[in-house]
Amino acid sequence: MQINHVVIIGAGTMGQGIAQWFCSQNITVEMVDQNYEFALASLERIYLSFDKLVANGKLQNSDVLNFKKIISVKKMEEINPNADLVIEAIVENLDIKKKLFAELDRSMSKSTILASNTSSFPITQLARELSIERKKNFLGLHFFNPATIMKLVEVINGLESNPEIANQLINWFNQRNKVACLCSDSPGFIVNRVARNFYGEALRAVDTFDVEKFREVDNVMKEVGGFRMGPFELMDMIGIDINFSVTESVYKSFFDEPRFKPHRLQRDMVNAGRLGKKTGKGFYQYES
Amino acid sequence: MQEDWVKKREKDFINMNHNAKLEVNYKSQSDHNNVMVVAHPDHPLYRELITHYKVRTIDEAINSFDTYELIIDLSPLRTQKKFLFLKELAKTTKAEIISDLTLCWGEWILKYSPQVKASVSTLFYSPTNAFEYSLRDGTDSKNRNCIADFAASTNQKMIEHKNLGLCFHYPRTIAMIINEAYFALGDKLATATDIDLAMKNGVNYPLGPIEWGEKIGLHNIAQLLEELNTITRDERYRLSTELKLHAFKYL
Repeated sequence: MQINHVVIIGAGTMGQGIAQWFCSQNITVEMVDQNYEFALASLERIYLSFDKLVANGKLQNSDVLNFKKIISVKKMEEINPNADLVIEAIVENLDIKKKLFAELDRSMSKSTILASNTSSFPITQLARELSIERKKNFLGLHFFNPATIMKLVEVINGLESNPEIANQLINWFNQRNKVACLCSDSPGFIVNRVARNFYGEALRAVDTFDVEKFREVDNVMKEVGGFRMGPFELMDMIGIDINFSVTESVYKSFFDEPRFKPHRLQRDMVNAGRLGKKTGKGFYQYES
Repeated sequence: MQEDWVKKREKDFINMNHNAKLEVNYKSQSDHNNVMVVAHPDHPLYRELITHYKVRTIDEAINSFDTYELIIDLSPLRTQKKFLFLKELAKTTKAEIISDLTLCWGEWILKYSPQVKASVSTLFYSPTNAFEYSLRDGTDSKNRNCIADFAASTNQKMIEHKNLGLCFHYPRTIAMIINEAYFALGDKLATATDIDLAMKNGVNYPLGPIEWGEKIGLHNIAQLLEELNTITRDERYRLSTELKLHAFKYL
């Protein structure tokens, strides 16, 4: 499989990270966002990150000079229609995503692979209104934050995806220090499903707001379980609202399966505006 | 009401399978001579235990008339059977007991088994060689020292917590993660290898849940979840049929 030119749509945290990773593989990257200025700011952050890596001796200056030449910000109408791969990393809104893919279906070459970085929508559903030919070239590529560091890419076939494309992409990623895992088109895919009870069970162990218990559970999970962060620290870092929303989404998608049932403490925290580090207060309190 | 329940469970206890007979090579240190450890050969620390302690099976322990100052009970029993075993033990010894309550409702055991002065959770493999423990309120430091001695003998780190609930923190959480991984396997979401790779590389788990389950023993996972289900009547603790299928090989 030849991937020389990639378009990343959405220049938020995930889009920026994915763009930077592809660029660091010497792949030409075009970055697009509905807010052009925002995309330019993301590009600046990528430049800054590359410069830091040079300063830390992790990259050569000559490499970075090249990277900066092959990454650019484009408007939607300016993107190369013959790009090998387009990855969507925009807001998790089904209608907006479907509208974007319908537009890409019309404007991009028939051989271009379209992929979504969605963590919550079924790939088959996203592909539903695409042309028959495009459905074969459509799949999920779910990266993990920060995409430049986390190795995992979940590769998800929709019902009408050509499985050979997924297999080739898995090989392609695996040759470039990523770990690509194939999974079926099921809510939460692998990680967001299997990891749910890291949080859910911790919440049931404490049941009510009690900082001493949060510390205790976090400490045990790190010291005995070998996890890098405890569940409450991690929810605070991710954002309790985001974690709650993913849990609700998986719970609903599995038709109220009790294993995924959210805990009322999550809802209470969100209602109280204690969303974690980003608001200065979550399960723990943070200095501003 | 409580009496009836106890009588019914005593009958269950008598019917329990205590087949495991051990070939024990005692190399007990002199200061452990008055300590008896109750453990099954499947216990993850068994090799270390037999080099430091007098290790007895459940059957041997309740039929022992030797005098001990301390009993470290690591039997892999669920709440009701654990309670009955501790009750039997209390008939032949006045020794204080440190009991492994990994598969138990710890608060319940502490309430009804006064000889238990502290609880530990050593049944589940820990990637960091550590275990949780909790002291009964008002227990003197002697029991903490005994646990520290036990931890040193078995090369484990001990992590104290004060909120002994159901089945400790680490075991119940990891059991649920592993159960979900088996539900995912059963749904053909991904291969076991890919599930393990995904969890290690997507969220930095020290082990993949499938390999983690193999190390803990799926029969232990199954027992713990059955216990949580029994106590809470919460369907979230329902066992994956795929896990049941794989757990059978451990029995």
